[in-house]
Amino acid sequence: MINAVLVFNNAGQPRLTKFYTQLDTSVQQRLISEIFTLVANRPNSSCNFLPLPPLLAASSTSSAKPGAPTAQHNDTPSLITYRHYATLYFIVISTSTESPLALLDLIQVFVEALDRLFENVCELDLIFNFETLHATLGEMIVGGVVVETGLERVVEGVKAQGRVAKRPVNESGVGGRLSGLSGAFGSQNTVGPVWTGR
Amino acid sequence: MFEKSLYDLIRGLRNHKGSEREYIQESLRECRREIKGQDMNLKATALLKITYLEMFGHDMSWASFNVLEVMSSQNYMQKRVGYLAAIQSFRPDTEVLMLAENLLKKDLTSPTPVIISLPLVAIPHVINPSMANSLLSDLLPRLTHSNPAIRKKTIVTLYRLALVYPETLRPAWPKIKERLQDENEDPSVTSAIINVVCELGWRRPQDFLPLAPRLFDLLVEGGNNWMAIKIIKLFATLTPLEPRLIKKLLPPLTTIIKTTPAMSLLYECINGIVQGGILDGSEGMAEGEEIARLCVGKLRSMLVVEGDPNLKYVALLAFQKIVVSHPHLVSLHQDVILECIDDADISIRMRALDLAVGMVNSDNLSMIVETLVRQLVNAPIASLADDTSNDRGMHGGVEPLAESDDEDAEESLRNREIKSNKPPPLPEDYRINAIRSILDMCSRDTYANINDFEWYITILIKLIKACPSVNTTGADDTEIGAQLANSHRDISYDIGQELQNVAVRVKSMRPEATAATQTVLTLDTHGQFFPASGNGGQGVLEACAWVCGEYAEYLTDPDAVLNSLLYSGGEHLPANILAIYIHAVLKIFALVCGNQEIAWSPPRRTNLTLLMAKIVYFLEPLAAHPDLDVQERAVEYLEVMKLASEAASGHIVAEDGDFAGPPLLLTQAIPALFTGMELNPVAAGALQKVPLQDELDLNAPINENLANILKQADEDDSMEDVQDSFLQFYNERPESSAPTPEAAADRLDVAARQEATSYQNLSDDDRLDPGAAAQKRAERRDRNKDDPFYIGQQDDDYSASSRLHNIIRYTNGDDLDIDSIPIMDLDLEARSGSGSRTPLDHNRPRKAAQRKRVEITSEETIGGEDDKSRSISRPDMARSLPSRVKKSLLHIDSSGLGSLSLEGNSRYGELDIEQREAEEKALREVERLRLEMQRASERIQAKEESVVVRKKKKKAKPPVLDVEEPSVVDQGDGVVKKKKKKKKVLDGAEGGESPSLGFGDGDALSTPEVKKKKRRVVGLKEEGSGG
Repeated sequence: MINAVLVFNNAGQPRLTKFYTQLDTSVQQRLISEIFTLVANRPNSSCNFLPLPPLLAASSTSSAKPGAPTAQHNDTPSLITYRHYATLYFIVISTSTESPLALLDLIQVFVEALDRLFENVCELDLIFNFETLHATLGEMIVGGVVVETGLERVVEGVKAQGRVAKRPVNESGVGGRLSGLSGAFGSQNTVGPVWTGR
Repeated sequence: MFEKSLYDLIRGLRNHKGSEREYIQESLRECRREIKGQDMNLKATALLKITYLEMFGHDMSWASFNVLEVMSSQNYMQKRVGYLAAIQSFRPDTEVLMLAENLLKKDLTSPTPVIISLPLVAIPHVINPSMANSLLSDLLPRLTHSNPAIRKKTIVTLYRLALVYPETLRPAWPKIKERLQDENEDPSVTSAIINVVCELGWRRPQDFLPLAPRLFDLLVEGGNNWMAIKIIKLFATLTPLEPRLIKKLLPPLTTIIKTTPAMSLLYECINGIVQGGILDGSEGMAEGEEIARLCVGKLRSMLVVEGDPNLKYVALLAFQKIVVSHPHLVSLHQDVILECIDDADISIRMRALDLAVGMVNSDNLSMIVETLVRQLVNAPIASLADDTSNDRGMHGGVEPLAESDDEDAEESLRNREIKSNKPPPLPEDYRINAIRSILDMCSRDTYANINDFEWYITILIKLIKACPSVNTTGADDTEIGAQLANSHRDISYDIGQELQNVAVRVKSMRPEATAATQTVLTLDTHGQFFPASGNGGQGVLEACAWVCGEYAEYLTDPDAVLNSLLYSGGEHLPANILAIYIHAVLKIFALVCGNQEIAWSPPRRTNLTLLMAKIVYFLEPLAAHPDLDVQERAVEYLEVMKLASEAASGHIVAEDGDFAGPPLLLTQAIPALFTGMELNPVAAGALQKVPLQDELDLNAPINENLANILKQADEDDSMEDVQDSFLQFYNERPESSAPTPEAAADRLDVAARQEATSYQNLSDDDRLDPGAAAQKRAERRDRNKDDPFYIGQQDDDYSASSRLHNIIRYTNGDDLDIDSIPIMDLDLEARSGSGSRTPLDHNRPRKAAQRKRVEITSEETIGGEDDKSRSISRPDMARSLPSRVKKSLLHIDSSGLGSLSLEGNSRYGELDIEQREAEEKALREVERLRLEMQRASERIQAKEESVVVRKKKKKAKPPVLDVEEPSVVDQGDGVVKKKKKKKKVLDGAEGGESPSLGFGDGDALSTPEVKKKKRRVVGLKEEGSGG
C-alpha cells in the first residue's frame, strides 16, 4: 500500500503532505527534508526511484534485500517513486505490494487531474488551493489504497464537492506567464512513450 | 474585514520575504484568537490557515478540539476544512477522538454522498481499535450505497479498520466478497476491491484461493491495467499454494506479455511469473521453456532500451528475483547487467551491484570487482559538508518561504524541468555498499572465487582509498542516530579484517600480505593509500598493525615500520587501534632485538637503547590513556621496556674480537612472549563444540578455598607464613594467647601493618621455609600443567606452544589475534609487577612472584576473555537487535491481520457488532416483555385512578428490571461485557423516568420520555437489520 504522498517544490517547500500512517509533525518534516536531499541531487536523466532515505533505511536494512517476500517486508515502506514536473516534485512512498511503474502512472494521473481542474495547472494553483489538492488526492487514494485511476472520475469526484477556485488573477503579478505553454498533458507522456498503461 | 483568509495568509507570506518566521508567529497568534470565537466562518478559516502552516511543521495539536467543532459544522465547505484538519493533525492518541466518534457516525449516515465521503476518507487516518469496533456497524451498510464512489471508499476504510482491529474483517469480508462477485458492479469498485484483496492477500493467501476463478475472469476480461497488475500480484501469492493455477495462468499471462502496450503491465506479468514461482512450476513443460525465455528476453530488452532508466531499474529488480533460483538464466545476460554497474544513475547502480553479488563466479569476479574499484577510486568523495547544506532539517524548522521564484511557481507543470546534469558524487552508503559487496563477493565460500590472492591484496589496498570518512563525533545521540551510526560502521575495519584473514589463512601469501600492510603503515607512503581528506580508511590500520606485528619476520624494513608506528601521532588514533599498535610495536621490537647471533657490540647496544627509549617515549603518554585496554598494555610494556633497557645497559659489551652474547632478556624473554604455535583460523562457534569431558563437573567448585588462595596469591611467596598466621588470626578463634578481644578496626590495622612489612621485607627470607615452598610450587605446576592461562616457569619446559594450541582450541576463532594477546599480558604483568616492586633485585623473587601472579591473572583472564568474546559479537548484535525491535517509520503493523482466519469460526474476542446483534435479540425480547407488562399495567390502569398509578410507578419499577435482567442473561451467553452494555441500556431507560411504566400512563411528564424511548428502540432495530 501507499504510505505517504508528498509534493514539494524545487526548494523543498512542502505543498502537500499526506501520511497514511500517522507520524509526528517533526518526524514528517525530517523525512520530507531527507527525501528532498535525495531527490534534489538527482540528475534529470536518472530513473524515478529513490534509494530509501536514512530515516526509513535504518529500520528496514535488517529485513532482507528487496525482493525477498517476507511478511515483514511487505509491511515496510520499501519503494520511493517520484516524478518531477516543472517546479514540483511528486513523491509516493509505498510498500512492495505496489507496482513501481504503475505508481509512476498514478502520479501522472494525479497531475493530469489537477491540470483538468485548474486548467494549465502550476505551482501557484496548488499553493492557493491546497484544499482542492487534498480533495483530488482523496478521490484517488483512500487510506493508502488506490481507489480510482480513471482521470474522468477523479475530476468528477472533485467537482462534485464544489466549485474549484481559480487562482486569483492579480496574483500572477509578473504578468501573463501562463500563456504559450506547450501542449496538453494527455498526449504527452512526459517520461516517454515506452509505456502507456495505467 | 480584519481577518485574513488563507489566500491573504499566503500572500502575506510572499510579501514578508525575509521575516517569514515573525509573520507566521503573528498569524498563528491571530488564528488562535479567531478559532476561539463564535463565528463559524472565522473558525473554519483560521483552521484552514493552521492546517496550511502545519504542513511546514507548525504543531497544531492544540487545536484538536476546534477541529472537532469545525467538523461538526452544518456547512459542507466548513465541514470539509474540519475533516482535512483532522486528517492532517489527529493521531490515534488524540483525545478528542472519543468525541469525534458520534460525529463520524452521524456523517456516515448522511443522505448527501459528498458528506459521507468525508468521514470515509478521514477514518483511515484516525482509526483506533475501539473506534473501529463501534464504527463498523455504520460502515457496513455503506457497502451497498447507491453511489459507487461511496462503495469503493467504504471498502478501503473497512480494510483500514481491519488493520487496527482484525476482527472487524469477519463480518465485513462476506459483504466485500459479495461486491467482488457481483458482475454488474461498477468496474472502479471492483478495482478498489482488488486493491484491498491484494493487500490482504499476501498475509493469508489461503483464505483467498476460493476467489481465484473470479480473479481469473477479471484478468482475462482485461480493461483496467491497474487492476490487472494487482490481480497478477495477487496470483503471485496464490500460486505457491495451488500449483494447478500455474497451468491455467500461463496462457493469459503469455498473451499479455506478447500483446500489452502497457509496459507496467508487461513488467508486472514477468514479475508475477517470477515471484509466483511459475518459472519453477512450469519447468519441463513446453510452455514453461517458452515463458522463461520470453520473460528473460523481455527483461533484457528493457535493460538495453535507450533513454528509459526506469525500465532498467525495474528490470534489474526482476533479474534480482530470478537470480536466486535461476542464476544460469541471468548470467546469460551478464553483459548488459554489468554495463549497468557503470550507469550514471546511483539507483540503477545499486540494483546492478546487488545483482552482481548474486551472479558472481570465478570467471567474472575480477572483471566485476575491477569495474567497481575503478568507479570507487575515480569518483570524488562526497564531503559531509555537502550533505548538511542540503539538509534543511539541520537549520532548524522549515519556514514556508516566500516564493523567491515567483516566476517558477507559475511555470506550468507540463514542462519538465531540466536540472543540472552534473553527476553527483558517489553517496556514502553506495560506497559502503559497494565495498561491502566486493569483500562479500571475494570472500564467499572461503575465497572459492579467487584465483589470484596477490590481486586480491592489491584490490584491498586500493579500496582503502575509497573509504568514506567516518563521523566520529557521534553528536547524534537519538535513537535513530545511533542506528544510523551502526549501519554506517566504518567499512575500513572490514577491509582490514580481510587483509588479516588472507594473511592468516593463506600462508603462501604472508610475505605479500605483510609487505602490503607494511607499505600501508609506513608514514612516507601514507598519502598514497588513504583518502586525501577526512579520516576514511583509518580502520584498516588496526589489521595492518596486527599483521605487521604477527608476521614481523616477513617485514622487509622493520625499522621503518617501527618508526611509523611510533611516530604516527598515535594519541589521535581510536583506542582499539592504539591497543593493537602497542602490541605490534613490541612484536617488531622483539624481532629487531632478538637476534642472538649478532654480537652485543657497542653500536648494537646504542641502537637498541635508542630504540627502547623511543618506545618508552611512545608508551609513556599512553600509560595515562583514558581507554583501559590501551592504558593497561602501555603500563605493562613500559615496565618491560624499563627492564630491558636496564638489562641492556648492565650487560657486558663485547670487547674487540670477542663474542659476547646479548642479554638474554632481549634475545630470549621478550621474543618468547610472542612466539609460539601458529595461529589458525577457528570456526565461529567452535568453542561450543568442544566436548565436555566426562570427569569434568562444571558445577563443582574449582577449589573450595578459592577465595583464600586468591588472597594468598596476592602476596608474595615469602609471606606464606605470615599469611598462615594472618589467616589463623582471622579465621580461628583466638585462644588464651589473645585474651583481650580486639576491635575489628584494630585487626585491620594489624593486617595492613603485616602486609606493609611483608612488602618491605620482600627479599628477607628468614620466614620462608624453602622446602615447603618448593613443594607447593611443584604441586601448583602440576595442577596448572594444562591450564592454558598458566605460564610455566622459564626453567621448565616452556610450553608456550601447547598453551597457544589450547587457546586456539578454546577460543572463538574470529579474533585470533586479540585472543592471543591477553595471554601475553599475563606474562608481562607478572614481570612488570615484580619489576616495579624490586627494580634492582630481579632474580629470584621475580620468578616466585611470577608464578603466583600468573595464577591470579589467569582467573582474571577467564573473565576478561569472556568480555572479549562478548565484544566480538557485540557489533553484530548492536546492529541487528535494535533494528529488529524497532519498527520502521510508516510501518503498518498487520501481524494481527495475518493471524485472523476468515474461514474459521473461532470466536475469541467477540466483535461489537456481533455483540450488538446478540443484544438486539435480547432487546427485542425485553421489548416484548415490556409490552406484555405494559398491557398488563394498562389493564390495571383501566381499573384504577391515575394518582394511584403514579404512586405505583416507583413500586413497579424494580420488578420490571428483574424481569429484564434474566432475559438478558439468557440471550447473551452470560458474557460479562455484554451484561454491562445491557445494563447501560437499562440505565438509560431508568434515567428517563421508568419508561416501562411511562408507556402506561397518560401523564404529561412522562410522555416525552415515552417518545424518546420509542425512537431509541426503533433506531436500534434499524441498526440490527442493517448489521
